[in-house]
Amino acid sequence: MKSFRFLNPASLDEAIALATAPDAGDARFLAGGQDLLTEMQEHLAEPDRVVNLKSVPGLDRIEAGGGRLRVGALATLVRLEREAAVRARWAALSEAAASVASPQIRSCATLGGNLCQRPRCAYYRIEEARCLKKGGTECFAYGGSNKYSAILGGGPSWIVHPSDLAPALVALDAEIVLRGAGGERRLPLEKFYVLPADGDVTKETVLAPGEVVTEVVVPEPPAGARSTYLKFRERESYDFALAAVAASLVLQDGVVRTARICLGGVAPVPWRAPQAEAALLGRRLDAALAKQAAAAALAGAAPLEQNAFKIPLTKTLVERALLALAR
Amino acid sequence: MKLEPRAVPLQDAPPKRKVKTTQVVNGIETEVEIEVEDVPAGQWPPRASLRVLNHDIPRVDGPVKVSGAARYTHDVRVPGMVWARLLLSPLPRARVAALDLEAARAVPGVVHVLVVEREETGWLGQPVAVVAAETLEAAGDGLRALAARFEPLPWVVDHAAAVREGAPAVGRGANVGRPETDGDEARARAALSASATRVRATYTVPVQHHASLETHGVVVDYRGGEDAVVYCSTQYAQGFAAEAAKELGLKAGNVRGVVEHMGGGFGSKFGLDAQGLYACRIAKELKRPVHLMLDRRAEFLMSGNRSGTSMTIEAGCDAQGSLTGLVAEAWKHGGLGRGSLSGLPYCYKAGAHFRDVRSVRMHLDASRAMRAPGHPQASFGMESILDELAYAAGLDLVEIRRRNAAHPAWVRQLDRVAREIGWDQHPHRTQPGKPDREECIGIGFGISNWGSGGSSDCEAEVRIEKDGSVVVACAAQDLGTGTRMYMAAIAAEEFGLPVAAVTARLGDSRLPTGVASGGSVTTPSVAPAVKDACTRARGAFAAHLAQVLGRSAEGFRFGPDGVRHDGMTERLAWSKACGTLPAEGLSARGKWQESLQTRGVRCTQAAQVAVDPGTGRVRVLHMVCLQEVGLALNRLAVKSQIQGGMIQALGYALGEGRQLDSALGLQLNASFEEYKIPHALEIPRMTTLIDDDDTRNGVAGVGEPPAIPGASAIANAVHNACGARVRELPITPDKVLLALGKVV
Amino acid sequence: MADGTARTDGAAEPVDLSRRVFLRGAGGAAAGGVLAPALLGAAAGGCAAGATAGAGAATSAALAAPPGADPAGRELVGEVEIELAINGTRQKLVVEPRTTLLDALRTRLEPPLTGTKSVCERGNCGACTVLVDGEPRYACLQLACDLRGRAITTVEGLGSPEKLSVLQQEFVAQDGSMCGFCTPGFVVAITACLQRDPRASEQEIRRACAGNLCRCGTHPQVFAAALAAGRRLAEGQR
Repeated sequence: MKSFRFLNPASLDEAIALATAPDAGDARFLAGGQDLLTEMQEHLAEPDRVVNLKSVPGLDRIEAGGGRLRVGALATLVRLEREAAVRARWAALSEAAASVASPQIRSCATLGGNLCQRPRCAYYRIEEARCLKKGGTECFAYGGSNKYSAILGGGPSWIVHPSDLAPALVALDAEIVLRGAGGERRLPLEKFYVLPADGDVTKETVLAPGEVVTEVVVPEPPAGARSTYLKFRERESYDFALAAVAASLVLQDGVVRTARICLGGVAPVPWRAPQAEAALLGRRLDAALAKQAAAAALAGAAPLEQNAFKIPLTKTLVERALLALAR
Repeated sequence: MKLEPRAVPLQDAPPKRKVKTTQVVNGIETEVEIEVEDVPAGQWPPRASLRVLNHDIPRVDGPVKVSGAARYTHDVRVPGMVWARLLLSPLPRARVAALDLEAARAVPGVVHVLVVEREETGWLGQPVAVVAAETLEAAGDGLRALAARFEPLPWVVDHAAAVREGAPAVGRGANVGRPETDGDEARARAALSASATRVRATYTVPVQHHASLETHGVVVDYRGGEDAVVYCSTQYAQGFAAEAAKELGLKAGNVRGVVEHMGGGFGSKFGLDAQGLYACRIAKELKRPVHLMLDRRAEFLMSGNRSGTSMTIEAGCDAQGSLTGLVAEAWKHGGLGRGSLSGLPYCYKAGAHFRDVRSVRMHLDASRAMRAPGHPQASFGMESILDELAYAAGLDLVEIRRRNAAHPAWVRQLDRVAREIGWDQHPHRTQPGKPDREECIGIGFGISNWGSGGSSDCEAEVRIEKDGSVVVACAAQDLGTGTRMYMAAIAAEEFGLPVAAVTARLGDSRLPTGVASGGSVTTPSVAPAVKDACTRARGAFAAHLAQVLGRSAEGFRFGPDGVRHDGMTERLAWSKACGTLPAEGLSARGKWQESLQTRGVRCTQAAQVAVDPGTGRVRVLHMVCLQEVGLALNRLAVKSQIQGGMIQALGYALGEGRQLDSALGLQLNASFEEYKIPHALEIPRMTTLIDDDDTRNGVAGVGEPPAIPGASAIANAVHNACGARVRELPITPDKVLLALGKVV
Repeated sequence: MADGTARTDGAAEPVDLSRRVFLRGAGGAAAGGVLAPALLGAAAGGCAAGATAGAGAATSAALAAPPGADPAGRELVGEVEIELAINGTRQKLVVEPRTTLLDALRTRLEPPLTGTKSVCERGNCGACTVLVDGEPRYACLQLACDLRGRAITTVEGLGSPEKLSVLQQEFVAQDGSMCGFCTPGFVVAITACLQRDPRASEQEIRRACAGNLCRCGTHPQVFAAALAAGRRLAEGQR
């Protein structure tokens, strides 16, 4: 790890100022540190300044009420996993939080850090491999080892977004709040992420330099709504998703009234599946419909040499998640 | 507590005689003839009379391990110590184009920069430079400051590239080694042609990493002067002091080697290794102690591994299922090394067999011995082809093994293991199941063998102090296998004491000759020597008491109720008896005795798995192991050891394997994130059985055999569950889905 | 160390385990941190039920707390002296901002605490698990200077060879360690689990140590030890 200046601001404004000062150099915000510190240990990030957001009061609240759930960026995953209100009404979020890594990570990893974490692609994580994500000219996974790579939305980079919370929150129609030197902006979480083809390929989000995620706001689900997060890991104990699905449905007498489905582990961003949602609307949710929706969700998949298996795998997960919600 | 060598001199050298035993040299088992003293053969007491041994004994070093007090090499801190780190070749073969030594030396805190390869590297992860500094962080800064630049040279890191015509040469000589053949090819092929059923398939196993939690490394405590102490994480406490002395320019006898505790080796840790030599060089230069432990990435790249294998096997049987012929063609992938592959048809007999095995060399670190070197690979090929043959012939999977096993012990074991895993109630005994449900249940089997057998050089010393304390010592080491505990337990048994009353000392090169812990030889080497030392000590003690008490030496008995004499009604408490000893106490040195050990321990395992055809997930539900162990010194530790082997096999079956990008020359999974070893949720129910039908009253080592057949059993169970035959380990969900035809 | 200020003197000052004193010690900050709930003590039945669902909230309240009114702590660069509360004693040590808690414990403390093992340094193996305010964490993924005002417990703080905690006793009895290098991490991770619920099921125990790697394959004995310890602790509480 390279040496850095460790700064503990007392307010968000001060944090942003410290990170954007003319002499700041490469500044990074530190939350739980469970991704950033590994990046620094591998020299993928070599900040001159580390601005500690944990010293800013009030960023870690979890508030359910007034028709919404507000989760501060610094709220830890273990709290999202345990909080009774979240478990009861935003099950997909709580299940996603519980599925992350290990207890040791969940005890200090934060919502904000989870949403902003960098790819796990082995090429990205090896300093010597100067891949597209690190400013190089080639996505090595494309012609190399791509078992874990994207089957949807890939190109020119085929990373998969590693977050578990992001698909769950997209399925729950969450909004993200960002704060920068120019003030605050809010956008649907879905719009927070950008495909490699659509923006700066070295980034996964629209977050600007010096901008901080402050909170996520999730609407209160309507009556009859149910949600779940189903994650498949190569190693069940402790692993990132090989594929995952978050689904949020409103069912009325077994008929789907609203549906939001978002896939994880298969695309460079949390991958919304609108065709699958459309296939469900107004129809009775049974095994045949679940299968049909699963097929629709994967209709556009374009696998690489080693990852076509993710198609049947993800279909299975979509089917099972939907049927679990129908039960 | 100190123990200076102060042995009672042994009598005139007794006559010698020759015996056969098995030795493991670089992971290859070899039958050798050795000379041993022709003394009356020692015997273990009958099992039924054992009070301490063959029971469950909590290990004596448990308390220090569970509380963090145990000191491993990595934990050694000595005054003035500097921290050293390695710069590795990031490519399999490269020209070292630039190293900014001045910049590295200028980093605050850096005290030494050692370049160990200036020109050209020849394997991925080869050390290039070492930086030593006052802090770990500064050493890291020093490595960065070197700003090393490497220019790629042509390399080969996969089989296809290595065997291609005009491939870059790996060292001197051809990339493909000379064939090692066995058997009569013409006969074997004729037998195959005449067989009722024959099958042919190719099986592949990847390189497996030892992945010891404590990395390789040393602390060299040299502060100038004539002496040094070298702490090394190794499986051979006496195997590195001389080498270190040479490097330090000291007399061999002036360097003491210490391995107090060590965090796993599994066959990868013998000797100082390159990093140990570098640490010595730096210590000599600085006259300061040096701490040099590999980091995790270096551990993956440069500390050896279990070689990979690709093997094509053709096997045939007659109508009853007896193997008539087998032909195997195999390649070993051991990097710069030769790799290892045990002979096929492994633990089975075939009417005729022929095998042709060659090594394929690559620009990767040389493979090393790993827990039963060569056996799991051979087992996977053999058990797989056997199942494929059984299905082709419509035979019961247990029956085909009973019929062809090369030793009757396996027949007995197969029957028991089949019972434990529920074979009789299993619906798919001659044909695999169908992928028609979310949980397809399958069962698979495998058998294994290991030579074990001890080293005739091993010695031990026992000291009985005047205050009644007992110390037993040998320069062996405890890798977590329980050496300390059984050394103490043997003495406790012999003298009628509680285990806690005995102190076991090991892991110090200055103690009586030990043995390298490889090939399951530690127990059959150390235990006989300790037992012999105790027998001799009892004899000497009895002779002493005979003089003091005016009784015959033969009549003395040592038991939990103290010292008795056949001709006396009263008993003498142990402490009272010891109180009669002279001030220096009593000591005796014992030697290895063939009669106290046994060789050839067989193992049979079964695995029950659930395969989810929708996701390709394989969950191991239950593993059963029945293991011959001869006389179990500590049943608790033996069971732990067996289970450990089974769990490593589970990893080999389902998760582990080196992944490389051949074009870029990178290992993609040189970390515990991507190199997937089973954790808590992967552990099945385990039925671990010591084979008490093995009544041989000698001790054996069982580090290796239980690590062999588990992966084969799991692979066979996957196929048995749903018809997914995955012929390449590890069996990951993608391969299962592919084998099921789910991937279009 | 470069400036020769390396200390500490080894005679660590005992901490008065009361919130008030602790907070004052941390520089009078608003909420310097909740002290670890009584850890699974050496005495049988010494498990405090302190950390239940509320502990998460308490912990994160501490997370948001500024290290201080202490202006010197606002900006750290180079070698700096900090104070950490480790195993119930306040200890001064010199670190760099980049020094991880793992390296601080093993290489910066005097005497060092080497029970916390360095194995992967990337949060993959759990051998460096410690408790921070009662919750398990990977010490390799913590900056030491970021833990000022927090209660840090290492394996050494749970028991000593002479006075083992209930869980540690069961690890010995059930043969829960072989080479032993992963053992401290497992002991700490499972301690956190049993503190929350001594009646934790085997599945919960497995989940609690799913982030820990054992290469020798001691898992079955580890689960048995955890269940046995949980039973004893639960009985002790009644």
